[in-house]
Amino acid sequence: MAPHDDSLIMTDVREGEVEKLAILFERHHLPLYNFFLRLTGNGAASEDLVQDVFVRILKYRSTYQAQSPFAIWMYQIARNAHIDYLRKRRDKDTVPLDDQWAEAASHEPQPGEALETRRERALIRKALDSLPENKREVLLLSRFQNLKYREIAELQGCSEGAVKTIVHRALKDLGRAYTALQEGVTS
Amino acid sequence: MNCHDIQERFVDYLTGDANPAVRRAIQEHVASCAVCREELETMTLAWTKLGVLPEQKPGPALRTRFYTMLETYKGRLDEETAGAGRRGRARLADRIAAWWPKTPASQIPLSALFLAAGIMGGILLKSGPGRSVEIARLEAEVRDMRQQVSLSLLDRASPSDRLSGLSFASQLSDPNPRTLEALFKALDEDSNTNVRLAAVDALYLFRNDARVREGLVGSLTRQTSPMVQVALINLLADIKETRAAEALKSLIANRELRPEVRQKAEWGLRKLI
Repeated sequence: MAPHDDSLIMTDVREGEVEKLAILFERHHLPLYNFFLRLTGNGAASEDLVQDVFVRILKYRSTYQAQSPFAIWMYQIARNAHIDYLRKRRDKDTVPLDDQWAEAASHEPQPGEALETRRERALIRKALDSLPENKREVLLLSRFQNLKYREIAELQGCSEGAVKTIVHRALKDLGRAYTALQEGVTS
Repeated sequence: MNCHDIQERFVDYLTGDANPAVRRAIQEHVASCAVCREELETMTLAWTKLGVLPEQKPGPALRTRFYTMLETYKGRLDEETAGAGRRGRARLADRIAAWWPKTPASQIPLSALFLAAGIMGGILLKSGPGRSVEIARLEAEVRDMRQQVSLSLLDRASPSDRLSGLSFASQLSDPNPRTLEALFKALDEDSNTNVRLAAVDALYLFRNDARVREGLVGSLTRQTSPMVQVALINLLADIKETRAAEALKSLIANRELRPEVRQKAEWGLRKLI
């Protein structure tokens, strides 16, 4: 990934060369999709969210400031898209969470995968889902999205120390939830 | 350091950001403090188990939707900024419309490539230090996009789209393993004979690749259409692939083989040995 280049490209998009957004899409859509997938556990919703993020990038391109790294701006937009998604989902009759995980699991074409790995994956997803939204989001950003604590702090509008505290608590809660689920399964 | 100080550094310990002195202090502390040890173990379990969540790929529809959206947005933007010259452009649009594919499935990947070409063109028009590096990088991205377009078309239900996919693949100078796999899949499994024949032509272009030569030999014994069999024999004889001799012999030994194919196989065998 080349953050500096990303900023230059996004500046060109802001100035009207919108076709260059294709480069940013090709670079970022995969990590962004996986961020949403881990956050929501729903493949179809994650594809919709990625599309929504790039629609918003175009819509709000004039607000992009070149001194800010593109990835931080993009994840800020991703957060807002996710908040709106949750709001809409709450307004509708929601799909039971277990069904969502089942859908996500069916989305994974992983033949030959060990039964134990599948079981572990289902458990960690359930455990993740038991975390409050903000904790889950910050934890996933720090674990998978290649962002520094300073960058997550900028994104969240808080201090670096506060981000570390959230990650610490999220990991503690997640570990406990995982153990509880594991004991529930084996007992 | 007390328990609070130690626990404050657990996240850095897990992410690998803690320096050796801090790591050592944490290890020494948890060896003698059961409360902190349990907390670190719980956090380590969570950190490790998160690793079983794999990286997944979205469906091909995501890319298609993005490029459709971008094209629509760009079209609207152009409309807004258009002033003089609108009539001239309308005439050009008519001419383009005459050869532009009619099915959305073919239009979208083509739009993606045109966009990529536009980006390249825009950058080539500019000059200055550092541009050559940027051009090289963008060329690589466009090459990758061409592979993606080819793969996306080869996966379509319409034979004409799959033929377009083969045509895109033919323009590649260095197809990646996924594209080669898709070409062989078209050669071996496509329900349409024309697509299988076009796959023979596309693979001929990559004949210098050892994987391709080996794959072509293997494919000969799997083919059932006489036309594809003959095309493959011609190709293998032309590239003088001696490893095909055994495949040709077993083909000739097949009693159900059509006479014209047998004749061709015998001709091929004579050319190879």
